[in-house]
Amino acid sequence: MPRPQSSSPYTIGKLAALTQISADTLRYYEREHLLQPRGKSASGYRLYDEEAARRVQFIRHAQECGFTLAEIRELLTLRGRDSACCDDVRRVAIERKLQLESKIRSMKTMSTALDRLIAACSRDGVPVEACPILIGLEQAQPRR
Amino acid sequence: MPVTVELLHIPGCVRCTGSREALREAAQAVAGDELIWRDLDVIEHMDYAVTLGVLTLPAVAINGHLVFSSLPTPDQLRRALSDPPKHGP
Repeated sequence: MPRPQSSSPYTIGKLAALTQISADTLRYYEREHLLQPRGKSASGYRLYDEEAARRVQFIRHAQECGFTLAEIRELLTLRGRDSACCDDVRRVAIERKLQLESKIRSMKTMSTALDRLIAACSRDGVPVEACPILIGLEQAQPRR
Repeated sequence: MPVTVELLHIPGCVRCTGSREALREAAQAVAGDELIWRDLDVIEHMDYAVTLGVLTLPAVAINGHLVFSSLPTPDQLRRALSDPPKHGP
């Protein structure tokens, strides 16, 4: 992230340019209580400081790691809490990993089911009512 | 019949360490010599944790089934063990 040249407050446009996050997204973060402006200018514009820029980068990186907004809120709270320790953050990260692994497993199951359907399709230009994929989907038994 | 209780936790978790003995005693009181107690580091047993459906920690499984998604009280564990799921996942 480019370092700011001064500590003068940023408008939302400046913060957006600095962090490469759109102003709409920054307003969304505000609605989600992830980001608060330091104050407002005399004309009513939101004003942010360097901490806001660091916070936006933190949110973006956390999203890239798959954290939900609720988890990011928790991480930000932990980050600002003196009594929090590394173990608290680690727990959130491990729980996210468990959730991701669980999703990966579900998606692999779905992918395998699709493999079976695709393999059943002979691509002989059969009419749609004889399409093995559609028939396969219709006949599939619910998983128990 | 053996009763397997598994505490899935993160190493160094203060809450888990603090409650482990009380939970183990509660389990022992119900299952006696049939109790098989396992402390599982979730990092080392990630695949198994995912198979059980663990999404939050700590968690407790009985006979290969996820029963608690957070740390139970000894009394809750005792009650769950009085009517445990069948052995095996």
